[in-house]
Amino acid sequence: MIADGVIDLGWVFDHLGDMWEASVEHAVLTGIAVSCGLVLSVLLSLIALRWRRTYTPITWVTGILYTIPSLALFTFLVPVFGLSLLTAEIALVSYTLLILIRNIVSGIDGVPDDVLEASSGMGMTARQQLLRVQVPLALPAIIAGIRIAAVTTIGLVTVTVLIGQGGYGVFILRGIRRQFLTEALVGTLLSVALAVVVDLLLVGVGRLAMPWARRAGT
Amino acid sequence: MPNVPAIEFRQVEKIYPGSSAAAVTDLSLEVAEGETVALIGPSGCGKTTLLKMVNRLIEPTAGMIRVFGNDVRSSNPVELRRGIGYVIQQVGLLPHRTVAQNIGTVPELLGWDDRRVWARVDELFDLIQLDPELRDRYPSDLSGGQRQRVGVARALAADPPIMLMDEPFGAVDPIVRKALQQQFLEVQKRLGKTTVLVTHDIDEAITLADRVAILNLGGILEQFDPPMAILRDPANAFVMSFLGHDRGLKRLSLLPISSVKLVKGPAVSRSASIEEAREMMERWGVDWIALADGDVLHGWVPGEELDGASDLASLALRRFESWLTSDASLLDALDVVVSSRTSAAAVFDGDRYLGMLSAETIGREIVT
Repeated sequence: MIADGVIDLGWVFDHLGDMWEASVEHAVLTGIAVSCGLVLSVLLSLIALRWRRTYTPITWVTGILYTIPSLALFTFLVPVFGLSLLTAEIALVSYTLLILIRNIVSGIDGVPDDVLEASSGMGMTARQQLLRVQVPLALPAIIAGIRIAAVTTIGLVTVTVLIGQGGYGVFILRGIRRQFLTEALVGTLLSVALAVVVDLLLVGVGRLAMPWARRAGT
Repeated sequence: MPNVPAIEFRQVEKIYPGSSAAAVTDLSLEVAEGETVALIGPSGCGKTTLLKMVNRLIEPTAGMIRVFGNDVRSSNPVELRRGIGYVIQQVGLLPHRTVAQNIGTVPELLGWDDRRVWARVDELFDLIQLDPELRDRYPSDLSGGQRQRVGVARALAADPPIMLMDEPFGAVDPIVRKALQQQFLEVQKRLGKTTVLVTHDIDEAITLADRVAILNLGGILEQFDPPMAILRDPANAFVMSFLGHDRGLKRLSLLPISSVKLVKGPAVSRSASIEEAREMMERWGVDWIALADGDVLHGWVPGEELDGASDLASLALRRFESWLTSDASLLDALDVVVSSRTSAAAVFDGDRYLGMLSAETIGREIVT
């Protein structure tokens, strides 16, 4: 089974189909986690911005979530939700919250006072101000947060193999168990590659969405 | 029907929460329609507070503010603000919107259709003489002066009857500021907007405003008069010290040459005799003589060249290097006169020679 070289290219070519399937699974697990995380973070950020006093407790709770080791979190969640996609996503989503909320809130707080004064002086309602001024101007910070959240989540998704989910973790775990370096390496490299691709895609999206910030460098 | 003032402050008071001192104290002031009023005073005199109470960015603690007779508290702040142009020192352009989009902000908020918004944006580019190439640029591409102009254009976009300007030219260098002030005057001459302008620069207030309100700490109104009246009759010691030592010179900057009587000066006809010329020089106590006939000024000659000359017509005439047009200010005139060899400047209206302006004439205006 173990080839002469370090990498068994024969195995790699035999399993291209599996790799594609694992890539789709990995991307879907990440996509669900980051989108749910973003929706939840936007809601929590709106609460934090509307009622400033809630911001500290919100960062406190999400901060604690962020520090729990993923392995431990899965262990706590499995007895309640079983070896399910839900368990995996609850854990993955909770890891995105701190980064996203912090970036959204600091992005909106970072909108210059003169811009706010001018926009309310021109007769924008609070809602128009949020949607037409604050959110667009916070976009660089928000996209930066999404990039970190996505890259972190892609790494974390590999761990979800322990609770029966797919993705590149399957290769890594099986490779380690069978002491088959090629498979473990393929899983690792694919995970890194996905992270790089997603990060670059988000940079591209950011450029398109923010032509005005192009020269500032995102 | 009596004329309703465009803006009326009636016994307005403002005490900020947590502060024991009033920012504005029992202040009453009216701004007539089409008038430019400058609010000026040291920091802490409440001038910006006063301005922001007109569009309800700040609410008074007591008293009433009326815009065209309506208590501002009776209108929705958002609606009120869309009907009042607002310019601030840091401009506050939206960095993520192009110059054209920035200018079109208020019309867009008012729900104008796109075509009308863009047509209006074009008009404003024209009005404030902005390079149309800048339309699709972002504010970060603009110079400080261009940003200020875009800020003014944006405030004018929905053609509001009232403009509030908070140190609109404060953030640019003095040369650009002069140019922007000049443009403000030109635009104002065409549009005649009721304007309230906050400034800390007395020269700006004097140049731009029809009336100047001088405020003291705590928002106490010390004097509210046209610039000339303030410079001539400062109401009290505070106003006097605020105007500074060069109050007389500031006054000169407001007076055109046409407001003083020009003198014929040490001038004789070209056909006059050498004796007549000497007599004229002696009468004026100068060592030169000008030759003029009617509204044509031929030039001048130094007194020593008269010695031995047979007649005036044979002498080589020197051109007047110091000359002025009649619409220049007396301050400009003073500058020319004191630096001229003849201590007098020839004043022209186009090609027509009107007479001479001497340092003495100008000096009289400083004193009175």
